[in-house]
Amino acid sequence: MSTETKSPAPEQPEAAAAPEPKPNFMRLFGRYLTEANSVMVTVYSLLLAFLIGAILLIVSDEYTRSTYSYFFARPQDALSASWYLVRDSYLALFEGAILNLNTLDRFAAGTADFGDVLRPLSETLTYATPLIFTGLAVGLAFRAGLFNIGAQGQMIFGMMGALIVGFSLNLPAAIHLPLAVIAGAVAGGLFGAVPGVLKATTGAHEVISSIMLNNIAALFLVWAIGTDFLHSETKPDLVTKPVEDSAVMPTLLSSLNSSLRVNFSLVVGIAAAVFVWWLLSKSTFGFRIRAVGFNEHASATAGMRIGSTYSTTMAAAGALAGLAGAALSLGVGSGGITTNTALEYGFDGITVALLGRANPGGIVAAALLFGALKAGALSAQPDVPVDISTLLQAIIVLFIAAPALVKAILHLRTPRGGLVTLEAKGW
Amino acid sequence: MAVDTMEAPALVDDRAPARHLKAGVVYAALGLLLVVLALTALDGDRTTTVAFDRTLADADWALPTLGAVIALGAVTAAAGAWMIAGLAHRWFKLASVAAVTAFVLALLVWSYSQPGTVFRAESILAGALFLSLPYMFGALSGVVCERSGVINIGIEGQFLMGAFTGVLVANITGNVYAGMVGAMLAGALSTMLLALLATKYQVNQVVVGVILNLLALGFTSFMYDQLKKADGLNDAFSIPTISWGPLADIPVLGPVLFQQKLFVYVGLVLVAAVWFLLYRTRWGLRTRAVGEHPAAADSMGVDVNRLRFWNVTAAGLIAGFGGAWFTIANSLAFSKNMTAGLGFVALAVMIVGRWNPLGVLAGALIFGFTTQVARDLDASGSSLVPGEFLQMLPYAVTLVVVAGLIGRAKAPAADGVPYNPGDK
Repeated sequence: MSTETKSPAPEQPEAAAAPEPKPNFMRLFGRYLTEANSVMVTVYSLLLAFLIGAILLIVSDEYTRSTYSYFFARPQDALSASWYLVRDSYLALFEGAILNLNTLDRFAAGTADFGDVLRPLSETLTYATPLIFTGLAVGLAFRAGLFNIGAQGQMIFGMMGALIVGFSLNLPAAIHLPLAVIAGAVAGGLFGAVPGVLKATTGAHEVISSIMLNNIAALFLVWAIGTDFLHSETKPDLVTKPVEDSAVMPTLLSSLNSSLRVNFSLVVGIAAAVFVWWLLSKSTFGFRIRAVGFNEHASATAGMRIGSTYSTTMAAAGALAGLAGAALSLGVGSGGITTNTALEYGFDGITVALLGRANPGGIVAAALLFGALKAGALSAQPDVPVDISTLLQAIIVLFIAAPALVKAILHLRTPRGGLVTLEAKGW
Repeated sequence: MAVDTMEAPALVDDRAPARHLKAGVVYAALGLLLVVLALTALDGDRTTTVAFDRTLADADWALPTLGAVIALGAVTAAAGAWMIAGLAHRWFKLASVAAVTAFVLALLVWSYSQPGTVFRAESILAGALFLSLPYMFGALSGVVCERSGVINIGIEGQFLMGAFTGVLVANITGNVYAGMVGAMLAGALSTMLLALLATKYQVNQVVVGVILNLLALGFTSFMYDQLKKADGLNDAFSIPTISWGPLADIPVLGPVLFQQKLFVYVGLVLVAAVWFLLYRTRWGLRTRAVGEHPAAADSMGVDVNRLRFWNVTAAGLIAGFGGAWFTIANSLAFSKNMTAGLGFVALAVMIVGRWNPLGVLAGALIFGFTTQVARDLDASGSSLVPGEFLQMLPYAVTLVVVAGLIGRAKAPAADGVPYNPGDK
């Protein structure tokens, strides 16, 4: 901006001659709506994503596409087919994630109990729980200027750590469960520390080393499940031994209805979010993380040890991802874990952290949204392609990561202080 | 003008002697370990059979395993000892290559010594070259992007888009070559998004790359589910193997080089072409300048962001073509997430190959060979180490390389840094 020539003085009175009308609430509100501030960018990202999702639904649906071939003869066919397709698809997502209207009717008629009504919400919370942890794992590292793409691998090691303690020890639940959770965090933390230590000591970029470690972890899991130590003694397929009952995460609502899977990990997840908030905003360590993330050179000049901050931050992030793994292996109940248990929670953590803007509160909200998308998509398949959740997630965070794009598409105004973007860094 | 700075950093590496010593100790220890292990654990009457399975059906060659492993272990140890004794820096590379090659060969000889396993040299080498192609295309695409200063972590996504679009276009047009062109365009269109965001909107390229991967995964999986409801949009197409007449009958070379699919030749030509373009043309000089010091390039009249935009888009053509390898070259229909992380391995190959097309060729061949051998040993069920660990090798090698244990991998200086002409 400094290179722009200043407007000559005589023009200024002219600008003053058309005074802005007195700001009232509606005016300020309208101004807020048309500004690319972080709240409105989030809102518009969501709206744009659902709009693009709708277009893709219409384009890819064979019947609806066929109605467009005679659009100019009977436009109402194409429009109504499109409308019903999009409405039914999104309604199916809503009913799978939040509230099923049919179940509500049956509950009103007395043929379903209250637990049935809560089932979609319970599913949403179940899928959101690991996302809270992995989102925090990515978000915490973001604050130190590190891109922790390795949450998937850290989670896999956390899963194995918690599982091994979970099935190999025989202790009362009050000791066994916390011990298994801690084992998950430690395993994830140690694995997560590797890219941090490598960056601190050799300058290896954490993104590239984390990608490699993710692949190594995934292959290691496939191998480990097949070993006699982990493999199930009763089932022939690739599944591990189950954890002892004393290490199973207690469910929260199964007294209402046995199909409500949401368990105590959710509470641990919220507690972890509160802890990360405290860590970042109230503790010395958190101050160091933020200072290094903001400007590593200035932090180094101020006497902070950059290398050790990288290592400890990555270890803490790994521990959070490890907790996600613990939640999975201790939460699956009587079955063991398979190569599929981890799904893509670690990678989804990246999108959660981006949507949550690396703030613990935002991360919890983003995890709930993406958990809802996942639960909705899983229940709405095969009528709606299950990958619509991945697609919507990706479009949402693409806009979040590139607010300038949203601003350009919708012709929004630049807010005071500029757009909120992530700092761009090289290898 | 001698502005080629490629070789310069090697001249000012004052930590070289310490590195030689460390590497030497490692190689010597590995070599000795191999000899000791062979003497204790290997039967004296084992043999390793090498077969020329495609050209000379009856020319199997039986190698005494114990003697070969000990000899190769001794070579590894000797190379290590040479490094410990102190060697001129110019010999270091040669000694490292000798040590690593001998060590790997020893492991191979040992692995194929199990009764019933045969090292089918021609099939394995030809397969290795074929399997190295996705790494080659992906890494070349990465080289073009990153040499211009844009980090392309979305190779995986461009592969997926290419693989999906290739089959779709081939099915719609009924022409497999149209499918290949479609794959290239799909790759280019998806990198264009990265190019736009990286140059015009100056976003964090690593983050956007990761998002673009997710977007490609979501998009192709979503479309796959939708389109499979309709018939004939995702049928497998294949292309013929090109046989070069009598050349194809030369032992080893024939099956490896003169009896392959079009993709192999495109890959090899591209390596040469990208190398030539980068180091011998005006475009290449400008591209490298923009990747190393965009402000300097700008002051010499290069439109930095414009060049970056078109280079990244062109790189997408290569990655998209690489995507078509997964479906068309393998005669497969598209399936969800079929690239299975190979785009990330390609990124690793780019780094191992030091952002240089020739390095990429070497890296891709090594990774392709590892993959092929791992598959072959896994199929014969006689592997010394679990197949998963063999598959981990490329990733482990990359970790070692980025950590600077084998030389140092140095990215272009301005890689991933958005250029804003106003900031000068």
